[in-house]
Amino acid sequence: MRDDPLYLEPRLDPRTAALLDSAPLLHTLVDALGSPLNVLLPDRTADNVRRFRAVLDHHRLAGRIFFAHKANRSSSLVRRLTTTDADIDVASLDELRHALGSGFTGSRIMATGPKDPAFLWLAVRGGACLNADGPAELERAAALVRAHGLPRVRVLLRLSGFETSGTRRLMRESRFGTPVKSLHRLLDVLARHRDELEPIGVGYHLDTTSLDEKAAALEGCLRAMEELRVHGFRPRVIDVGGGFGVNYLAYAAQWERWTTELTAAVMGSRPPLTRGGHGYGLRVENGTLKGGLSLYPAHRPTAGAAYLDELLSLPAPSLGRPLGTLLLESLYDLYVEPGRALADQSGLTLGRVLEVRPTDSGESTVRLAMNAGDVGLEDHGVLMDPVVLPRDPAPPGAQGPVGQVGPVGQVGPVGQVGPVGQVGPVAVHLMGNLCLEADLITRRTVFLPRPPRPGDLLAFANTAGYCMDFGATHAQQQPLARKVAVHEEAGRWRWCLDEEYWPFDRTGEPQG
Amino acid sequence: MRYDNITDAIGDTPLVRIDPEVHGLRHIDLYAKLEMLNPFGSLKDRAAWSMTRRELAGAKERGETIVELSSGNTAKALALIAGLHGLPFKSVTNRMRIPEIKDLLLLLGAEIEELPGRSECLDPTDTDDPLTLFHQRLSRPGGAHLHTDQYFNALNTEAHATGTGPEIIADLDGRAPDWFIACVGTAGSSTGVARALRAHDPAVRVVGLVGRKADFIPGIRTVDEVQEVGIFDPATYDTLEAVGADEAIDGMLTLLRRCGLLAGPTSGAAYFGGVRHLRALDAELTERRTAVFIVCDRVESYLDYVRQRRPDLLGRPPVKNSVATLTDTEVRSAAVVDVEDAQKWIAAQRPLVIDLRGPFAYAALHIDGSVNIVDELFEELLRGGLPFGKRQPVLLACPVGEKSARYAALLTRMGHPDVRSLAGGIIAWRDAGAPLVRD
Repeated sequence: MRDDPLYLEPRLDPRTAALLDSAPLLHTLVDALGSPLNVLLPDRTADNVRRFRAVLDHHRLAGRIFFAHKANRSSSLVRRLTTTDADIDVASLDELRHALGSGFTGSRIMATGPKDPAFLWLAVRGGACLNADGPAELERAAALVRAHGLPRVRVLLRLSGFETSGTRRLMRESRFGTPVKSLHRLLDVLARHRDELEPIGVGYHLDTTSLDEKAAALEGCLRAMEELRVHGFRPRVIDVGGGFGVNYLAYAAQWERWTTELTAAVMGSRPPLTRGGHGYGLRVENGTLKGGLSLYPAHRPTAGAAYLDELLSLPAPSLGRPLGTLLLESLYDLYVEPGRALADQSGLTLGRVLEVRPTDSGESTVRLAMNAGDVGLEDHGVLMDPVVLPRDPAPPGAQGPVGQVGPVGQVGPVGQVGPVGQVGPVAVHLMGNLCLEADLITRRTVFLPRPPRPGDLLAFANTAGYCMDFGATHAQQQPLARKVAVHEEAGRWRWCLDEEYWPFDRTGEPQG
Repeated sequence: MRYDNITDAIGDTPLVRIDPEVHGLRHIDLYAKLEMLNPFGSLKDRAAWSMTRRELAGAKERGETIVELSSGNTAKALALIAGLHGLPFKSVTNRMRIPEIKDLLLLLGAEIEELPGRSECLDPTDTDDPLTLFHQRLSRPGGAHLHTDQYFNALNTEAHATGTGPEIIADLDGRAPDWFIACVGTAGSSTGVARALRAHDPAVRVVGLVGRKADFIPGIRTVDEVQEVGIFDPATYDTLEAVGADEAIDGMLTLLRRCGLLAGPTSGAAYFGGVRHLRALDAELTERRTAVFIVCDRVESYLDYVRQRRPDLLGRPPVKNSVATLTDTEVRSAAVVDVEDAQKWIAAQRPLVIDLRGPFAYAALHIDGSVNIVDELFEELLRGGLPFGKRQPVLLACPVGEKSARYAALLTRMGHPDVRSLAGGIIAWRDAGAPLVRD
């Protein structure tokens, strides 16, 4: 068992799996548009919206589902969402412009995060809801409304620092939001600006995977709503933010085995699993394991809409009844802001294999026509194997004619992978195309079921949430990934450039 | 047996033979070391006392707080010892998942700090876990803490090397058992007992049991988590095997129902994992051998743990007059009344208006004159029969009119002639602009 390849196979929904089965199409796209290439599946994002809506319906809650735009820069996702009942949450001036330009009206937009003057101005001007960070921001928004005679702006108060009863919960400090203890400061501003600001509710956005912490925060919001009522406001929304998570891997057992082997490698009881023995946050001191595993929990039994369902089903720490029941009974609407979870299975990133170089350690180095910024799995601590899409569909091991590999001419010699004739699993290290020692697609030794060859594509599945373009830059003037949007129509894949995508077909009819 | 102090009652726990009929081993005598009979209820009494006894006087003088990273039994024992000696006690943990123990600790006067969960948006440059940061805070000069540090404290191990281990040998008439089976938490008991037994007879085999990774068994660490324990040394164990939560509960049931031992899930894991390990060896044996496992604590605190994983074990007979027994037809035929008619009906007939929502929501806004009976209480109330006369008309209200329709159907089945449900519930009432009050 110990020597079996330590696969971390990605979870693929049927649509993504079907797309990966269409390797010739993907090769054609990369041939035409270059490597790396991002492929978006906007229909899947719409499916994810329905899943979240089903959870709200199940709890009989009214509410809104906001796509957190920062998870992906794609136009196709945003434009597709305009046709669903989703709203959008934007965190910069350009995201706001993009949302407006894609067809979202101000009533369906929420502005979150740090706001510079231009962003705040356009948000208030456009009638977006403000997710307000603190009293100063409320003052600035009120001043804009007054100075320009604008309609009252809807505001949600972002709160933090929730108290727990019984046991004290130490929380990670957040830069954002107003501590619940200082709620009175927000109320003072609101009281002075009743004509300019319309507080529709309160919310939180906690950076944690812990349901208990979120339950404490949600209960804190219920109490804060009472405060607002006592002060004569009519709030009716609680915003529980995002952080519902994604399950990236197909098999829990692979994840558990890999993390255990990593622990063993850090402890020195097996060979390293990573380049340079990197421990992903773990280290040894005096024979004892220290540090924390700085990896995304890549296999999660409960993620996305199911996580929200679990949160709503959880009893409130001190009020006792399930949180969903309390929201419903209090006649409150629920806002959620999933980014990663709404983009789940909504896109993949393709990179062409440029060179496969055997090393003395027996593990090959695979150089890709992409870099670590193009597929930010490592940056976000997500470990997941790429899927090999052979250039040559001939049976593995058969040598394809060299001249047929790729139109760009980046052809490495074939047959250099591992021992001669090796066709089974191989251990490889994935390198990027930057002239930097640090440009590793992943620090992990990746096991692939067959040796990749120059011209093959490696498909990184499920990158649409934060891993696709979040860190992509023009460093060293390597090309940035182009984006295409694909959808299925009458059993065939249709594709267009991401910026050419609109949610109707070329005849103007809604997509079939 | 007369003691001057409850801490004198720590140790000297019984060693009880498990009936071979139960475990089915033919050549191995299996004994349970009943550590749950320690005065504070667990094996950890020994470690807690061992780590504090020499420190208490000084700590009192310096006004220190006893601090431990513990999610359960160690904290319980330390809290009681701290209380006995007039010291405060604080527990810090990210593993406290047993609500009964949390509440018990609060009752004992402990202060509990829970560590935050994992970050959803990782900062890969932040590689220090919360525990490390906590340790750094504790070791800052000027802090008035007595940090017992069970995962690294040699006195934890020593308690078992000088107590638990020798007691087992004494009770086996001066022989060490052939196998010693222990679950690995702090590794203190397994390491200490193993040391004592092997000093007596180097041939003793030590079986360490860890939790399966995806599962959670209170008090046991997983195969990765044991690496974080300073006392843990893989060389202590001849084998490390994993036990799942379900198996632990199965083992616990055997101890409870067939052995008369009020043992908790960790003990169940020790029994289950022990018997599983020994069964294969038993078949090859021709002479008698002995094995000992630890029953480390009692079952009472783990009822919620069992309820979550195996609710069938706590099954209750169906109750009378339950909404769960209603048919769809009954629910559909419940009398409903829309907001406008309800307002007229209230004005004309003065029905009893019952709001089935929780008191928190009711207090914020409700229909004037309504009474609040939370659905859970209402359900209980109905088990005994109708809680109001049949001539009293009743209007039931819930958030969306779904629950109230079910209760209206149930009351109708129970013989009430005029009970109606507010269609669309309080939300429809609000949306129609009908008055809601808070008083």
